[in-house]
Amino acid sequence: MSGPRRVLRPADVAPDDLDAPFWEACREQRFLLHVCSACGRAYWPASTCIDHGSVRMRWQTGSGRGEVHTHTVVHHAYDPGLADRIPYAIAVVRLDEGPFFHTDIVGCDPAEVAVGMRVHVVWDHLDDETVIPRFAPDPTGVPDDG
Amino acid sequence: MSTGAVSGRFAVAGLGVTAQGVRLGRPARDLRRESLELALADAGLTRRDIDGYIGTSSEAFDDIRHLGLAPGFAWTMQSGGATAIWSLLNAIGAILTGQATTVVCVYGAAPTGGRMARADGSRGSFGSFAYGYPRLYGMIGAGMTHALHARRHMHRYGTTSQHLGAVAVAQRAHAAVRPGTIGYGAPITLEEHQASRLVVDPFRLLDCCRDTDGGVAVIVTSVERARDLRSAPAVVLGVGTGHNMRNWWTGEVYDLHDDIAPAAATAFGQAGIDVDDVDVAALYDPFTISVIMQLEAYGFCPEGEGGPFVAAGGTRLDGAIPTNTGGGQLSGFYATGFTAVVEGLRQVRGEGGATQVPDAQVALVSGHGGNGGVQNTWAHATMLLGVDR
Repeated sequence: MSGPRRVLRPADVAPDDLDAPFWEACREQRFLLHVCSACGRAYWPASTCIDHGSVRMRWQTGSGRGEVHTHTVVHHAYDPGLADRIPYAIAVVRLDEGPFFHTDIVGCDPAEVAVGMRVHVVWDHLDDETVIPRFAPDPTGVPDDG
Repeated sequence: MSTGAVSGRFAVAGLGVTAQGVRLGRPARDLRRESLELALADAGLTRRDIDGYIGTSSEAFDDIRHLGLAPGFAWTMQSGGATAIWSLLNAIGAILTGQATTVVCVYGAAPTGGRMARADGSRGSFGSFAYGYPRLYGMIGAGMTHALHARRHMHRYGTTSQHLGAVAVAQRAHAAVRPGTIGYGAPITLEEHQASRLVVDPFRLLDCCRDTDGGVAVIVTSVERARDLRSAPAVVLGVGTGHNMRNWWTGEVYDLHDDIAPAAATAFGQAGIDVDDVDVAALYDPFTISVIMQLEAYGFCPEGEGGPFVAAGGTRLDGAIPTNTGGGQLSGFYATGFTAVVEGLRQVRGEGGATQVPDAQVALVSGHGGNGGVQNTWAHATMLLGVDR
């Protein structure tokens, strides 16, 4: 990264350790979801099933695919450290398993991001210890249960 | 008038509003102190008459010592822009349960000086709150979260930047003739809106409110007691709440602007009136899309038609529903949820000046707040205010 921007890592923004299994799996390039084994409903982040409570929640590997549900392009640096990134695209991805995931969209011009665009996870190695998911246009373009 | 625990039984007896503006150079608690004294004077009450205190600024824990109050309770509430209406609702609840007879709800903040402390201990503007994992990707502030809803509305209904601009222009026209607003004497055109810089697409600079400093105090008591006081009571006809988490679970959260339906149903049900009875609307409006989506959700226009409705003049003084007649947050001042509360009160008190709606009998006030960094806001509140009959 160029400039003085401090790169945030998951531990900097996590309120506690409940999502730690997700971030640890990212190092192995696995995109986990928190799934209720009673009904199969998938959640992100760590959640409690609205129908079955917490007892049967399990972390399971998801597809890492979905579509852009809504998005914005950021033209103003709300943090001075983000000045070298603008304009950048922020999107809410509706994962194929159902949950929403907030991310930026990389791998295309921010102006090309559109509602309904198929996207998939790409892995960004922030350093030797830290890998985070980002999303990019999906060249296959079709839902894939993987 | 319908029966019920709330409707017609409680009133705002005193309203205190300090100067509202950018870099007033005064500490927040000094603004709260002045707003309290203005409200007491408005009601013809003294400090000793106040037996309940509800603070609505996150830094307000130590307020009552500075304010010189001796209430039976003092609590603080925080649910973003819904807090203002919630504070009045909780004042009513305190009176109903015998905790107090005369409750003051106090707001005062000075964010433009750069020293505002937030609930999490950090300092910064109202517009740069950030939460949780979306921060990893540069997701900061209410502009981005509201833009996600605006984008869906544009996608689903064909709403345009010009429609958003029509909101900004209409509200600036109101503010331009209301002294004490940030838009006073400064009308804008749609061309100026379109020429303003993009901030978070689709929002341009003139689609966004800005922080201002100021204090507001509202004194709540029974209608009977309010009738014996100095100013005419503004009667609380109904209050309702809704929470957007319901729509999160169904996946509709970005297609809706908060969970307005239950909030409206409760408030209108208590009041025993419907949307056609509303003479003036004061809608929480940090961004232009908020007005368009709320006009639809409350039923002032059909779903998806909020943009054309505003562009056709529906929210102007001579329109179907005069809206944000004080300029709103966009062009009036940003006292979080108290911006709309103040304008609703001013309208039913007949104090709207150049933008007073003639014979305004019923005002609808809304508030929403607490975006949590993932969608526009979680909490919504609706309040209907009326003239004492």
